[in-house]
Amino acid sequence: MSRSFSRRQALIITGATTLLSTTALTPLAFAQGAGDPVRKIVLITDTQGAAPQAYQAGQLIAQAWKQLGLDVEARPMARQAQSDLVWFNRDKWDTTMWRMVGRPERSDPDEMTFNLFHSSTAPRGFNFVGYNSPEYDKVAEQQRQTVDPAARQNLIKQAQQIISRDAPYAFLVHPNTLQAFNQNVFDPASIVVQKGVGIRNFWTFIGATPKGTQKAMIINSGTALQAIHPLYIAGAPDSWMNELIWDRLVRIGPDGLPRPWAAESFKFVDDKTVDVVIRGDMIFHDGKPVTIDDVIFSFEAPLTTDKSPMFKPFVTDIDRIEKTGERAMRIHLKRINAAFATTALGRVFIVPKHVWEPHLKSVEGKPDTLESIRDPMNVGSGPFRQVRARLNEEVVIERHAGHWAAPKVDRVVLRVIPNAEAVVGMVRSGEINLLSEYGGDPDVLEKLSKDNPAIKLTQVTDVGIEFMAFNNRRPPFDDPVFRSALSAAIDRNVIIQAAWNGYAVESISHVSPAIDFWHSTEVKAPATGIALAKSILDKAGYKVEGGRLRYPPGKKETLQPPG
Amino acid sequence: MGFALRRLAHSLFVLWAVVTILFLMFRLMPGNPLAAYINEQLSEDDQRLIMAQFGLNRPLYEQYVIYLWNLLQGNLGMSFFRREPVWDVLKSALPNTLILTITGLVIAYIFGILTGAWLATKRGTLAEAVIVPAALATRAAPEFWIGMILLTIFAFTFGWFPSGGANSAGAAYTSEWDRILSRDYVLHLVLPALTLALYLQGLPLLLMRSTMLEILHDEFITMAKIKGLSPWRITIHHAARNALLPVVTAFALGLGATLGGNVVVETVFSWPGLGRLLVAAVAQSDYPLAQGAFFLISLVLIILNLIVDLVYGWLDPRVSHG
Repeated sequence: MSRSFSRRQALIITGATTLLSTTALTPLAFAQGAGDPVRKIVLITDTQGAAPQAYQAGQLIAQAWKQLGLDVEARPMARQAQSDLVWFNRDKWDTTMWRMVGRPERSDPDEMTFNLFHSSTAPRGFNFVGYNSPEYDKVAEQQRQTVDPAARQNLIKQAQQIISRDAPYAFLVHPNTLQAFNQNVFDPASIVVQKGVGIRNFWTFIGATPKGTQKAMIINSGTALQAIHPLYIAGAPDSWMNELIWDRLVRIGPDGLPRPWAAESFKFVDDKTVDVVIRGDMIFHDGKPVTIDDVIFSFEAPLTTDKSPMFKPFVTDIDRIEKTGERAMRIHLKRINAAFATTALGRVFIVPKHVWEPHLKSVEGKPDTLESIRDPMNVGSGPFRQVRARLNEEVVIERHAGHWAAPKVDRVVLRVIPNAEAVVGMVRSGEINLLSEYGGDPDVLEKLSKDNPAIKLTQVTDVGIEFMAFNNRRPPFDDPVFRSALSAAIDRNVIIQAAWNGYAVESISHVSPAIDFWHSTEVKAPATGIALAKSILDKAGYKVEGGRLRYPPGKKETLQPPG
Repeated sequence: MGFALRRLAHSLFVLWAVVTILFLMFRLMPGNPLAAYINEQLSEDDQRLIMAQFGLNRPLYEQYVIYLWNLLQGNLGMSFFRREPVWDVLKSALPNTLILTITGLVIAYIFGILTGAWLATKRGTLAEAVIVPAALATRAAPEFWIGMILLTIFAFTFGWFPSGGANSAGAAYTSEWDRILSRDYVLHLVLPALTLALYLQGLPLLLMRSTMLEILHDEFITMAKIKGLSPWRITIHHAARNALLPVVTAFALGLGATLGGNVVVETVFSWPGLGRLLVAAVAQSDYPLAQGAFFLISLVLIILNLIVDLVYGWLDPRVSHG
């Protein structure tokens, strides 16, 4: 890994720049006719314990903004309180560190493009910053309705350009995911690196080939699981297990694109009609065959009832489903959705109707949903079956020999190990043979790999993004020029080195370079620097008086700093 | 009998107060359980549905009455996020926590009592000059630091013990007892229990030593010496027995206090216990699970307090008349 300068040097440079810039404020002072001083800005960050990188980045950004004459308070908040404020009190905060984590289904850019910035999601959805641009809305809607990949690619790139210009966020980094595996245990050629996700992916789980007598794959999670359940979305490690136990019609391939899985084929007959044919050789873990009725039930349970609320969003575009053959069904859509294969066919799990239909009847007319119902056997039709689940400690799943793509390993053991240092020790001792996530010091892992040739380190750029979100509803953040200036004040290189130890790449848009088909190379990283940021502000009429940044002439401060 | 009833009534009142404080504390804390459900398309109706499922759409007093009524029936409610009865979640972690806590405490108290009693007879010696500061330093050192040192030496360097968890990966057992009594489980228990014991040994050691020092000057000890009893017999059979009472009290209270306070040890050794569960529940605003865990810990503490008070009353009748 090449580095231009160390973390320590990065911090020293930032500190020195702060000092220099404090003195540099003087020439701008005493400008005439300026508006009210900008109130104290509260910058919400994660706590140091919860997300040290984001915390550090928040501190660096606060320092940079102070150099513009802003009074900035970096306020760490526990994740839950931060989410509560940002999500449910949308007009009561100024700016916050935030992240969109990488998930396989985010390899399609629809979620990042539509949900994050379309004005319809501003009141309650993911557009929590309140960005509102009719021009952008149009492009976001068009990409959703454009089935032709090349035409859609153009629209996605256009969307990135608009966002780059309007700066509703200051994009910071796409973190690099560090993982490792023991190449004495697994044939390296059988370990699949999925774009934006890394080696802990479905294709590795089913394809990893043991070289010797150790046939179990032992992976780790830093957090306990909450539920292994086909109709309930909980934490990340829960989803790793769920997607191995229950099959989906479509899976996201290592290239980030959807590919048929339990569906032998799927075809858009027209813009709003999809024909699906399922494989004929699928069986559930209890030995019963997977039929088209099971598949239709899996989609209709969230579609026609309110008993599977978490999966309802995935089927909202479906109008109705009709059975057209022993293995075939036709899905009629309410509206065109170019990402339908990823966002619906690739999300809904196929559940056994004979298990879940009685449960569905049992909750009819009650406030309960299927999420509160447990199938102790967790019968699915995926390539692994559940052996046991001690959610605080360990989950064991074993090879489903009857699966048409049966895995090469006998079992996967997921161990809950919250201590990052212990994880390194376990990788070294062989207690873990595939490091699926790592939150500790990357240098320690690199050293481990150098000292132990059996440990193969992998690194991929994440689909996820770390960014500074501006509350576009609240002045002065409602001014795109102000937002651009604040974004320009942030030195991403310093943040990458000082906060992410060099294990991240600069983010310039909401579409990660990990999904290169959709990522726009035309959008260039904006120039940064305190001097540049000051000049942008100055040109827009923001002046510094007595060391405090003021609004353009005539503009009054109408808000109080968030409490 | 009257004393016992009074103490019982007092304990029940304390339990009610704890339960009420727990109920209010979580609901007044910043944060909202819905924040964990942030979903790109979670509509207002869906949010209302979730709040209704949790019972959080009802007025606070109604929630309180339902909570108390359920509690009286032994029902701790359903975990918001695990979607399982709270008791089922707690009971999966409770055996691990009890075993870790009791093992750590027993080792700490056996070591502390014996060393404290012995040190009381070694006033002004080199042993006292070395052991007392060492015990204090170990007591003052952060648990995670002790844990990491032990891990580095005995797990990472020598490989004598596993690096974490309560069992080896994928180990299967026919029953919970089989699991707990297995060699594998005991091997996994050694380092966390030792860490806890090192952290806890300071109190019994110093308490025993200081009580012994007082007792060794009592008249009945002088009498024993005059009778020509051996120093060992005097120390163990006469002085130590009398010095044990405050140490036993500390043990009972320590058990209750340590039960929920093992978060650090549990995290360092990835030990699947109640402490980690409790922290996760609070962070997620999983009110029923957090309340249930705190309730369980409080219940153990109150019961142990009651037992200690009753035993005291029996051992020393002056207490019950005081």
